Amino acid sequence: MSNHHLFGIRHHGPGSARALIGALEALRPDSILIEGPPDGDHLLPWLIDPDMSLPVALIIYRPDQPKRSGFYPYTLFSPELQAIRFALARHIPVRFADLPQKHLMAGEHKPAMPSMAAMKILAEATGHRNYETWWNLAIEQRRDSTDLFQAIFDLMSTLRASEGEPQPGPDGYEPAQLLLLQREAFMRQAIRQEIAAGRKRIAFVCGAWHTPALVNLDDVQADARLTTGLPAVPVEAAWVPWTYGRLSMFSGYGAGILSPGWYHHLWTHSQETSDPAEVTLTWLTRVADLLRQEDLDASSANVIEAVRLAETLAALRELPFPGLPELNEATQAVLCQGASEPLKLIRRKLIVGERLGMVPPGSPMVPLQRDLYQQQKILELPPNPETTTLQIDLRDELGLARSHLLHRLNLLSIPWGIPKRVRGLRNATYEDWKLQWQPDFALAIVEASMWGNTVEEAASAFAEETAANANNLASLTELLDRVLLAELPAAAAMILSRLRDETALSSDIPRLMAALPPLAQILRYGSVRQTDQELLEHIVDTLLTRICIGLPTTCAALDDNAAEEMSKKIGETTGVIHTLREHDYAQRWFDTLEKMADQSDLHGLIRGRICRMLLDESIFDREEAAGRLSQALGRSSFAGMSIEQAIQAVTWLDGFLQGSELLIVHDRRLWAVLDSWISGLPQERFVEILPLLRRAFSHFSDAARGQLHERLQYGAPPLAEPLLINTFDQEQADKVLLLLATILGLRTNYPIGE
Amino acid sequence: MTEIIRAHVEQEYAAELYELEQAETRPKPPNWRLSPWSVATYLLGGTLDNGFEVNPKYFGNGRLIEIAIATLTTDRALLLMGIPGTGKTWVAEHLSAAISGDSSLLIQGTAGTSEEAIRYGWNYASLIAHGPTAEALVPSPVMVAMQKGKLARVEELTRIPADVQDALITILSEKLLPIPELNEEVMAIKGFNVIATANDRDKGVNDLSSALRRRFNTVVLPVPATAEEEVTIVRKRVRELGRALELPAEPPALEEIRRVVTIFRELREGLTTDGQARLKSPSSTLSTAEAISVINSGQALAAHFGDGRLRAPDLAASLVGAVVKDPLHDVVIWREYLDTVVKDREEWTDLYRACRELA
Repeated sequence: MSNHHLFGIRHHGPGSARALIGALEALRPDSILIEGPPDGDHLLPWLIDPDMSLPVALIIYRPDQPKRSGFYPYTLFSPELQAIRFALARHIPVRFADLPQKHLMAGEHKPAMPSMAAMKILAEATGHRNYETWWNLAIEQRRDSTDLFQAIFDLMSTLRASEGEPQPGPDGYEPAQLLLLQREAFMRQAIRQEIAAGRKRIAFVCGAWHTPALVNLDDVQADARLTTGLPAVPVEAAWVPWTYGRLSMFSGYGAGILSPGWYHHLWTHSQETSDPAEVTLTWLTRVADLLRQEDLDASSANVIEAVRLAETLAALRELPFPGLPELNEATQAVLCQGASEPLKLIRRKLIVGERLGMVPPGSPMVPLQRDLYQQQKILELPPNPETTTLQIDLRDELGLARSHLLHRLNLLSIPWGIPKRVRGLRNATYEDWKLQWQPDFALAIVEASMWGNTVEEAASAFAEETAANANNLASLTELLDRVLLAELPAAAAMILSRLRDETALSSDIPRLMAALPPLAQILRYGSVRQTDQELLEHIVDTLLTRICIGLPTTCAALDDNAAEEMSKKIGETTGVIHTLREHDYAQRWFDTLEKMADQSDLHGLIRGRICRMLLDESIFDREEAAGRLSQALGRSSFAGMSIEQAIQAVTWLDGFLQGSELLIVHDRRLWAVLDSWISGLPQERFVEILPLLRRAFSHFSDAARGQLHERLQYGAPPLAEPLLINTFDQEQADKVLLLLATILGLRTNYPIGE
Repeated sequence: MTEIIRAHVEQEYAAELYELEQAETRPKPPNWRLSPWSVATYLLGGTLDNGFEVNPKYFGNGRLIEIAIATLTTDRALLLMGIPGTGKTWVAEHLSAAISGDSSLLIQGTAGTSEEAIRYGWNYASLIAHGPTAEALVPSPVMVAMQKGKLARVEELTRIPADVQDALITILSEKLLPIPELNEEVMAIKGFNVIATANDRDKGVNDLSSALRRRFNTVVLPVPATAEEEVTIVRKRVRELGRALELPAEPPALEEIRRVVTIFRELREGLTTDGQARLKSPSSTLSTAEAISVINSGQALAAHFGDGRLRAPDLAASLVGAVVKDPLHDVVIWREYLDTVVKDREEWTDLYRACRELA
């Protein structure tokens, strides 16, 4: 090759990076070009800033639509980063060469990605399951990098030739294909510019796939046609912190890498030593160390055995040294004793890794910051370091938008506003907030910027991530509540589907019962979209089915405290059933309760409570309830009862009368049941049972007892006759209604005068 | 020989082993009959250079077999784990046949297995007559394997009482077996190793002490990876067994087998096949072998008490029996499954009814 030298790499390939450094040192280039967006050229020097810690990503975005953006992540073992640092350290001119994002973002399409079909065939031909393992073994773990780049170039030339270059259809190229052609044209143009500037040893670092297209620079005309006259929009660039987790998901360079932590390990150990056995050894030592931190048994002797197994496996599979699959298999067989659970931990902590980058404080503004700034202007909410209070009227649009913004920021751990009103009052009209802007929010915004470019997007992504990691019902329902307040429908849908899974797996009936009321609240009053509404109904439905099936066994053999707790829960659930009366849950629920009323191993409190509920529902009639009352309290001779039985009897009565202090005075039916039972007791039995009765009524307040007494003495107060009014003054009534509506803060679209 | 119900695998597959031995070009570890590569070919199947076809013995993930073989070459003991019916014994048997040419050095682990069965015992007549002599000693299969440099198998290791299990520790770590009565010791020669099998799902097993566990490399043999694979295995075995038991019923429809396998897989994995709903898994193992037995007993029921055709009610009884092992929790899980999954599948109404009637 003449003046320019091509280095085909794999993005984030440690082997590529190592070989690249060697090759650059040998070449001593006078100019380095990197595949990447030229819109970010001015930010390159930040990469040697001592306060920059990797991984970070270069983001190019449209300031008018921050949602439209491209990310270019770099970490220690990215060949691009190593080349950039190589250049900056030696004051060699370095810049990006590619189709600028300002053109790309002017259109709607994304460039085509290299086809993987040929790579798959290649992997299969060499006996590997996938391209990833083949490339890892052949390139990233390779020790001898002589002529590596020539070999990669030859390989890619063959692959591209077999693939065939894209051909224009009758309407010209497909948009995605055209963009790919433009990208490579821009790369060639950059090389030409460097040559024109008199550079003799130009190094071009790019994805291996592009190398064959960058050799021949002859067709200047065609490239000029491809690269001029393109529409452009203003774009801005910034550095944002990145994580290895995100590196493994996706990136602006296309497909993400599966194992950043492993690559990091390969990178560090290919630097310090040239012995390949060292990579295996140190990796398995780290694995053992991690297992020990988690209190799992992992002795040094076993590490030795794991190393031996990994190496033998590699030999059996005819590999020069163990790759990640062999290491994982050896780890599982020796260190984890066959268990696969610890491997998940190893995958998360070591293979992917939890490294989080940091961006220097002075680097340019990130899109999230800009979006927040815009919203603050639109919503007339300037950041103020002083504490202020704000009352938001949720009925007007501005108020609602302000509330959403504050809730969203709270989700992102940017507590600019603290809601003063108790959460969960969702039919409230006003929200009271305490606002205070703190300087360290700036940092929190930069941290949050990895979740998205707008507050909405970031909050939604963050909520989804939190939901994916949440492992109990309570935190999910709480999150759902917050997400609904912040109006993030995508996240809400995601949380709902997690809730569905979680309710299916949980066998903890009290927890399921605890999750029911908030969900029912949301179902009844919440603002969820139609599709989510259906899913939510489905969840509440299955939740109730599972509760109904599991409740009888859960309630068996409870102690006093647990029984009290459970009795409260059953009461709450019944409340929910009433709230959702338009659904046909009542049948199922009360059927279950009816069955439980006869369950013998139930705590008296619960049985009494259930009997009472069934009476209230008119499922038990007065006679039935009275019969049960005497069964529970008046069985055979009371004197023969053991203490336990007596206590059971009295707790039954407790349960039966729970929360009915005032009701008992006014509810004729309840009164009649009690009254007929007590009056039916023979004298001596009444004396026997008296202590228990006293105990049951001892929870009642003095006033209630006074009223009871009065009623006993003077008989039932006459019931108020229902007022029947056939004629009233419409005009007068309207006035009252209007006033009432104003007082209650209701929308006054009551059809007055009709 | 024709009277034998089942021959040792090294006899049954003698032709394959012979061909592999002839075609051997790679180095063999000391006292191995085949090289590790040929052992892998023997278990996973393949075609030799001379065109000889080796039948696969194990249908699952080949990498597991490679780990097992690699373990034995590093002279670490191998522990094959998995729920019943995943082919642990089958793999162990074939490994010893291919590596040592002898799959007969076997200790069947039971609650009554004693230390003598693992170390050595005595011929008491001889012991009383002549005192402790080498002639009076009755070697265990493990001791024989040590002396001959072969593989010994321990089946159902976790059924053996914990203190007896620990007799293996010295053998595995020091590769020697002291005989204090004779003031002697047996030192294992190269090629000796132990393959143990254990299942981690059954109740009443004696967990391995961590000291013993550390001396094994563990390979977990999984249940069949896909429903199709499992249906094939179940179908093949049901047909074979039906023939052996001479059941008059007609062979079960593929649809019934698929239904049982689906139920087993869904409960085992805790997820419906469409991936839509999560489920709880019961305490029962729900192995492929059990699916086979459910179909089989359903078929027997249909043959003797039904119309000879396998129908939902015939299946329901043994199905519920296979799923519900723990009367408290499994019942709840099974009812949840019936009411949230089976009920909603229209073409499964007959099965739903049959199961509800039993509940």
